[in-house]
Amino acid sequence: MQRALWSGFLRSAEKFADRPAVFAESKSLKYRELREASCRIAATIQAHSDPAKTPLTAVFAYRTPTAFIGVLGSLLAGNGYVPLSRTFPIERTQTMLERSGCRSIVVDEGSLPQLNKLLETAPSPLLVLTPDVLDFTYYKQQWPQHNFLSGPDLKSAQSWREPAFEIDSIAYLLFTSGSTGIPKGVAVAQRNVTAFLDYMVERYDITESDRLSQMFDMTFDLSVFDMFVAWERGACVFCPSQKTLIKPGKFIKDSELTVWFSVPSTAVFMKQLGMLKPAQYPSLRLSLFCGEPLPASSAAAWLEAAPNSTLENLYGPTELTIACTLYRWDPSRSPAESELGIVPIGYPYPNMAVLVVDDNLLEVSPGQEGELLMNGAQMSLGYWKDPAKTAAAFMVPPGKNEIYYRTGDRVRRPLGNAPLTHLGRIDSQVKIFGHRVELGEVESKVRDACGCDGVVAVGWPKTDSGFGGVEVFIEGRESAPEKLRSAVIKELPEYMVPHRFHFMDRLPRNANNKYDRKAMQKLLEEGL
Amino acid sequence: MNAVTPDAVQDFLREYVAKSLRGQGREVPADLSDDCDLLLSGYVDSLGLLELMTAIQDHFGREIDFDELDAEQMTIVGPLKRFVAEKLAKA
Repeated sequence: MQRALWSGFLRSAEKFADRPAVFAESKSLKYRELREASCRIAATIQAHSDPAKTPLTAVFAYRTPTAFIGVLGSLLAGNGYVPLSRTFPIERTQTMLERSGCRSIVVDEGSLPQLNKLLETAPSPLLVLTPDVLDFTYYKQQWPQHNFLSGPDLKSAQSWREPAFEIDSIAYLLFTSGSTGIPKGVAVAQRNVTAFLDYMVERYDITESDRLSQMFDMTFDLSVFDMFVAWERGACVFCPSQKTLIKPGKFIKDSELTVWFSVPSTAVFMKQLGMLKPAQYPSLRLSLFCGEPLPASSAAAWLEAAPNSTLENLYGPTELTIACTLYRWDPSRSPAESELGIVPIGYPYPNMAVLVVDDNLLEVSPGQEGELLMNGAQMSLGYWKDPAKTAAAFMVPPGKNEIYYRTGDRVRRPLGNAPLTHLGRIDSQVKIFGHRVELGEVESKVRDACGCDGVVAVGWPKTDSGFGGVEVFIEGRESAPEKLRSAVIKELPEYMVPHRFHFMDRLPRNANNKYDRKAMQKLLEEGL
Repeated sequence: MNAVTPDAVQDFLREYVAKSLRGQGREVPADLSDDCDLLLSGYVDSLGLLELMTAIQDHFGREIDFDELDAEQMTIVGPLKRFVAEKLAKA
């Protein structure tokens, strides 16, 4: 049955009114308080809303109670939310606000220094809500075309009316980096998110005594898991400050977390910094990783540090709503099931279907590699105001009569009941003198040889038919390249042996902290 | 092993930040002042700071227990470089 995304929160707010719902900025908000504050935002948006306007509200807030209040307030007003972050370059934030067409925005105090700049390009009139600011005189004088409402001006929670839920009501609009450099807005419907949540809370048996991490910024869709999985069942989400994020081990202990969710990189660094000592985190009963390939070595080290924990590797693009396949780590079986040292992405969620296709979009035989296509209840609405890009990525493959989303990820179609294994991105496959080369394979051999987890291979130099060879970027201390070369030369055909190894303390990453292969290619173009 | 001075740590930090910013195609600051907060200035993000800590260990060839340094201080150039130099001088 379809239901609104806010329904789970409202149920918990009744049932667990005096339990903590969120901990942020050293403050804890009870369900009752979070509901009250969110309803005030929602009622204010409702009072100023015009049905003809875009049903979206921007939330310009970073790791504060206002960020959570803004998200819930938008939803309770019947709007989807558009997360904006003061940690992004302001030009990017301007583009996101403009492209979204939002006519209302919730701002926290910490984001105010960027507000003037943001309003320079903002559509007007804009309804600007700042629950934790008392005096807005300066802004009101500076920007007469916009409508500023601060704490005391907000409507009462009692005046809030539950909005009508429509089948395609948007939950959030999230911008991902587009290959052209212009961010694409992925519109995710509430029904996509509730399909995801229903499976997750059941599978993980979340209860009101759970304490979940919020490592992900709200501009990353994995944050939706943290908030809404907690609120579905009356649990509490712990949002570390930017400074606390750099001490993840202390954060787990101090907050007595029971559920951990982060990118694998966090585990990789914790291992290197000696933060994964045996049995260090006994409170964790569930450890989840998503967002990039999970090295099997990191998974094993994490489980030693969190011995009471079940560990799962999740996979999913924003377009398929947070995560849509998963794999439970089993120390006896998983090392053998891992391919190229990377933990499998496992099996599709029950409401999602998998199709693995070749270059002509025809299904490959079991055991063969191909591009992963998926569809099902979590398939999002597509790209905001961009029918051309939507049609290209959400399409009907030949011989099928349903729309699938093209993930751009390379996987192996499982034989029998084997898990899906992730082999890299489609664009990580290059042609070198006519040979098809999976850069992930080169990376895996170099990882083994140098003992560093951060390894990215890039095709270089460009030729008419593809590339003339491979170069490798390694995150870590410079070690003898001749030794590395002689180690991988035994494992790889000659055309795959890297010509050069580049050592960097930090590899270029995109806004979501994933390695940015294009940026590395650019470094090579510029002569490094 | 020769003593590592706070200045040597500062040189490393400057190089690290410069490389990282260059990799992202961003402008590189001429120097890092003692009160520069690497996190709040946007030079590194929180994951980047974890990377920086592992890079410091790798560069100076020693494990350092960063937990002893307060999170508020850890991201600021002055306290960070003095802490690292002090730790390296001890062990």
